[in-house]
Amino acid sequence: MTDGRAYAAYTYNVERLVPWRTLTGRQHFYLDHELYLAYGEYLPTYKPSPRPEAYGDLRETLKSGEAMALNCLTPHGKWHIHSTYMENHRMLTLSRGCEPCWLSEADAAKLGIQDNDWVEVYNDHGVYCARAAVSSRIPRGVCIVYHVPERTVGIPKSQVRGNRRAGGHNSFTRIHLKPNYLCGGYGQFSYHFNYWGPIAPQRDTHVIVKKMTKVIF
Amino acid sequence: MDVRAQISMVFHLDKCIGCHTCSVACKNIWTDRKGAEYQWWNNVETKPGTGYPGKWEDQEIYKGGWEREGAGSIQLKGAGKAKGLANIFHNPHLPSVEDYYEPFTYNYLNLIEAPPGDDQPTARPVSLITGKPIDVKMGPNWDDDLGGSPDYARNDPNLEALTPAEREAMFQLERMAFFYLPRICNHCLNPGCVASCPSGAIYKRGEDGIVLINQKVCRAWRMCVTACPYKKSYYNWHSGKSEKCLLCYPRLEAGHAPACMHSCVGRIRYLGVLLYDADRIQRAASAPDGEITRAHLDLILDPFDDQVIAAAQRNGVPDSTLKSAQNSPTYKFVKQWGMALPLHPEFRTLPMLFYVPPLLPVMASVTQTDGAQKERLNPIAKTWTDDWLYDTSTEELWGTIEQARFPLKYLASLFSGGDEKAVAQPLKKLMAVRIYRRWKTVGDIDESRVDEVLKDTGLSRDSAEAVYYLTALAKFQDRFVIPPAHREQALEMLEFTGDTRGSQGFGFLERPERGA
Repeated sequence: MTDGRAYAAYTYNVERLVPWRTLTGRQHFYLDHELYLAYGEYLPTYKPSPRPEAYGDLRETLKSGEAMALNCLTPHGKWHIHSTYMENHRMLTLSRGCEPCWLSEADAAKLGIQDNDWVEVYNDHGVYCARAAVSSRIPRGVCIVYHVPERTVGIPKSQVRGNRRAGGHNSFTRIHLKPNYLCGGYGQFSYHFNYWGPIAPQRDTHVIVKKMTKVIF
Repeated sequence: MDVRAQISMVFHLDKCIGCHTCSVACKNIWTDRKGAEYQWWNNVETKPGTGYPGKWEDQEIYKGGWEREGAGSIQLKGAGKAKGLANIFHNPHLPSVEDYYEPFTYNYLNLIEAPPGDDQPTARPVSLITGKPIDVKMGPNWDDDLGGSPDYARNDPNLEALTPAEREAMFQLERMAFFYLPRICNHCLNPGCVASCPSGAIYKRGEDGIVLINQKVCRAWRMCVTACPYKKSYYNWHSGKSEKCLLCYPRLEAGHAPACMHSCVGRIRYLGVLLYDADRIQRAASAPDGEITRAHLDLILDPFDDQVIAAAQRNGVPDSTLKSAQNSPTYKFVKQWGMALPLHPEFRTLPMLFYVPPLLPVMASVTQTDGAQKERLNPIAKTWTDDWLYDTSTEELWGTIEQARFPLKYLASLFSGGDEKAVAQPLKKLMAVRIYRRWKTVGDIDESRVDEVLKDTGLSRDSAEAVYYLTALAKFQDRFVIPPAHREQALEMLEFTGDTRGSQGFGFLERPERGA
């Protein structure tokens, strides 16, 4: 807080006229790196998400009983910064006492899942057990687990994975490297910790969702 | 004319982001106590939704508020002398713990004290009432962001005003919307809680109209819990007294905004004095159904009117309070600009908390097409399966409000007792200010168009600028115009409140020592 004003991004660049740390010293909208040109991403570009087979998250997992393969997204939560504050008593009270798996009304009906039922969310990488939040704001074919639940708070044992304690959402996501993030040695595309480097857009994966048969803590 | 002063509130719903910082601020200060765990004097609801306690708006269940009888007089729906006596040992209309929620915590000790095993331990939820493990089935914000929409949002009592097709449209993914509704005690002019209390423990403070429960006089009849149609009076099972929002009066007396307002991240909350005519309360509260909102707003007097000022002074309203009334942001929103409405005026308690209805989401016109949408979008984009086209590039200025994703009927059911015209007016004004600002900052709208729009809504360029300022730029002292406390008139302020911590709403505990 300076002179009654809170910190905001880019104040150095705007008020003290410090050049942006880019090739031109200005903000870039157009990226002329070879790799970006090659991938057709030199301007903000919509690209459809790869098909589940390309991701390969469900090669080994057997779908059994009333279960469904869904695209699972793990966006940032409403009132937590990653796991911080998520397991705070107040915020757990103001949510549902856990980080539920959000399902669309149509998919939940197909799976025989009612709001607040226990569900298992699993794939080749791991399993997460949570309650279902059935909502009309979730598109069909998609489920959401907010980033990031704590397995220390009210997570039961998984029935599809040998009665072992289920993990958080990080157990069923994995790191998919995006090739553009590997480029470097050119202006702002130079490795700097937490600024530029191969990061993990792992928030898009595929899972099997089914109702829990038994809830064991 | 019996002129009195009331500290009133305006919540600007277009600005609410649903962060619940208000709820947490209130909880931490006032209800973090045994017996009060389940109480949220301030809560934020997602609309459409059933809220907290579940379906509180449905007075067929809870029998709150007043009802108008044939002769035009009003009676409490579920409380009062005869009904109170009839239900003295069992009141069937009281919300139960299932309607609120069973407060819970977690068995964190298990994380370090679990016996050795081959798996990681976890902290199970346990009830804060019984201490036993529970299945968490309800919370104070259970239907947040349309969670459980088949059970909650679709059972919102306000949807009764809509046809089945209109209801269904509200839950179509591409067309749906929701907004947040923060609620505190309305500090009503005709409070059901005050009228219902058999012990006379509840009173409306003379100097500022704050409604309080005297903790020494309360005998836990809980008639106030039933009588309040907003369910903002709560029973503390530990102290055996009822409790409610006290508008943080200890903070107000020290010149600070209530904690919920002070902490508001979206800066949606405004607080200021309104002058009203107490002689006309009964007439306003018993106005016929269609006229209740108008009668309610007509109670509020012009603080610049010489007659009003003289009458207020005769009644002992201090000049400093009158000055606050003249600078009041709530007077501007409610009366001067006509942009704020009471929540459920048909409950007839004359609430003094007003809401600027939400214009969200961004206006779009909805037209039926024959697959035209597909052609407009590029071939890889996802297209909807139906034939509806959502067009945000409309030339039509007002048509969009009637065609907005939120049916006017729904908003009217919340904010004007079903009067669609009354709720359309503030929305048109919000839109007019946007159009005015668009002309001023972007300049792609004709000046004549802007003048036409402003004229239609009764705003001038100056008032549009003032609305913009108070909505978008206002500082603490603009948003909260708190009248100075007058210690010489108020007895509560002479009390040392430290020894009564854990209780609230205390009134005249003892007479102050005066002179010899």
